[in-house]
Amino acid sequence: MFDKIKKDFTTMTWVLIPVAIAINIAIGQIVVLLKLPVFLDSIGTVLVGIICGPWAGALTGALANTIWGLFNPDSLPWWPVAFFIGLVAGLCANAGLFKNWWKVILSGFLIALTAAIVSTPISVYLYGGITASGSSFITAYLLQTGQGIWSAVVSTSFLTEPVDKITTAMLAFAIVQGLSKRLVARFPRPENAEVEEGTNRTQLIIALVVVVVVIALGFLVRNMLAG
Amino acid sequence: MHERLSYYVKRDSALHRLNPLTKIILALSIVLVSIVSPWYWTAHILLLLVIVPLSFAGRVSREYFTSAIRLILPAAGFIFLMQAFFQPIGNTVIFKYLFLDVTQESLSFAFRISTRIAVMISAFTLFLLTTHPSELMSDLTRRGLPPQFAYVIISTLQILPQMQAKAQTIIAAQRSRGLDTESTFFKRAGSVVPLVGPLVFGSLVEVEERAIAIEARGFTSKSIKTSLHEIPDSLSDKIIRWVLILLVLLSIALKIWLS
Repeated sequence: MFDKIKKDFTTMTWVLIPVAIAINIAIGQIVVLLKLPVFLDSIGTVLVGIICGPWAGALTGALANTIWGLFNPDSLPWWPVAFFIGLVAGLCANAGLFKNWWKVILSGFLIALTAAIVSTPISVYLYGGITASGSSFITAYLLQTGQGIWSAVVSTSFLTEPVDKITTAMLAFAIVQGLSKRLVARFPRPENAEVEEGTNRTQLIIALVVVVVVIALGFLVRNMLAG
Repeated sequence: MHERLSYYVKRDSALHRLNPLTKIILALSIVLVSIVSPWYWTAHILLLLVIVPLSFAGRVSREYFTSAIRLILPAAGFIFLMQAFFQPIGNTVIFKYLFLDVTQESLSFAFRISTRIAVMISAFTLFLLTTHPSELMSDLTRRGLPPQFAYVIISTLQILPQMQAKAQTIIAAQRSRGLDTESTFFKRAGSVVPLVGPLVFGSLVEVEERAIAIEARGFTSKSIKTSLHEIPDSLSDKIIRWVLILLVLLSIALKIWLS
């Protein structure tokens, strides 16, 4: 077991991790600049998960939050969330879920599910459910409508996480596809990044349309709940 | 967008002279005690009677208060307002506007949570103000942390400013070519790819070169490396660490006993 994990931590992995953390933070800041309603601050983590295995991804996530915490201490308590994002991304990649756009969307959804589950207890115990993030307005609204704190926090996460994490997974997949085969082969798990036949632009467009429809449905359901 | 990466202020004080491990345990135990303590006023007392005096002892009070105003006050203040308005607890309504109501109970809850957050951020700000990251890393490596971790943390701190500068350059370049980063939602969402692509591919290409370079310098060598810079670890450091650990265990025990 340990030897297997050790095999994923080659020098290439150790060198990729700092770059991935810097990518997380730099893209996170670009997204803030563009005023988009997502975070996209774990693309590097998912990337490491795909080409270096789940444990390398998990380590990247945990360290990313620790280092982010050096100048934004509010992000420190969330490191378990980042840890599991990297872990699940790596497990999905090992299971062959980063090989075409459909599967990537499924991975993104699985990552979102994990993130929602892991972040809930932190949010409830540390912040009483209402954190410093903008999505807390939804939680606050649900609390006002009389929902319990756990269900309010969980449903907020289920509304906000999938959009963010599916986009993250798709961007990470696109980045891996854009790298040269020679470079990817130097990392511990190049087989995770092999694309299935028939993966092309048309599939991406259909996949994107499906995602948009699902999100629109989500908003509809939310509005209906809000009544 | 460009933030100062290391808070560290080089001064000579009792707090600066403490061993880095002692300081990180100090910060962690302040945070843990403020979270698990069953008494309402613990966090407030810690903030006023422990953290503020420590900032004077470390001769970083001016820097601490600056960051308190810039960073801690907005974060804690936002959480205070959100909690006060939105926590649906209590019956004693003080203030009501539309569906928002502030009750006595939600106010006191908000005060507690936001002070707790302020304590958490303060403890780590103080730690970062008085500890140089590479000092912490070399101390932890000496104590048995794999040197790869030290590499990851120190190297991230070096890469990050370069990456942010590169991001600025890419944004400026793409804007000058007519990329729309400010108008409608779809235009802004569409400009993610032309901004992220060059940044990511540019930095990933360097990875292989760097791996070869550090490999050639004995990165994976298992022999123990000697350090040029000795970090002092006195007897009083050890005593402080044990006292702090005892205090944390005591407050956890109290919490369990009282609940």
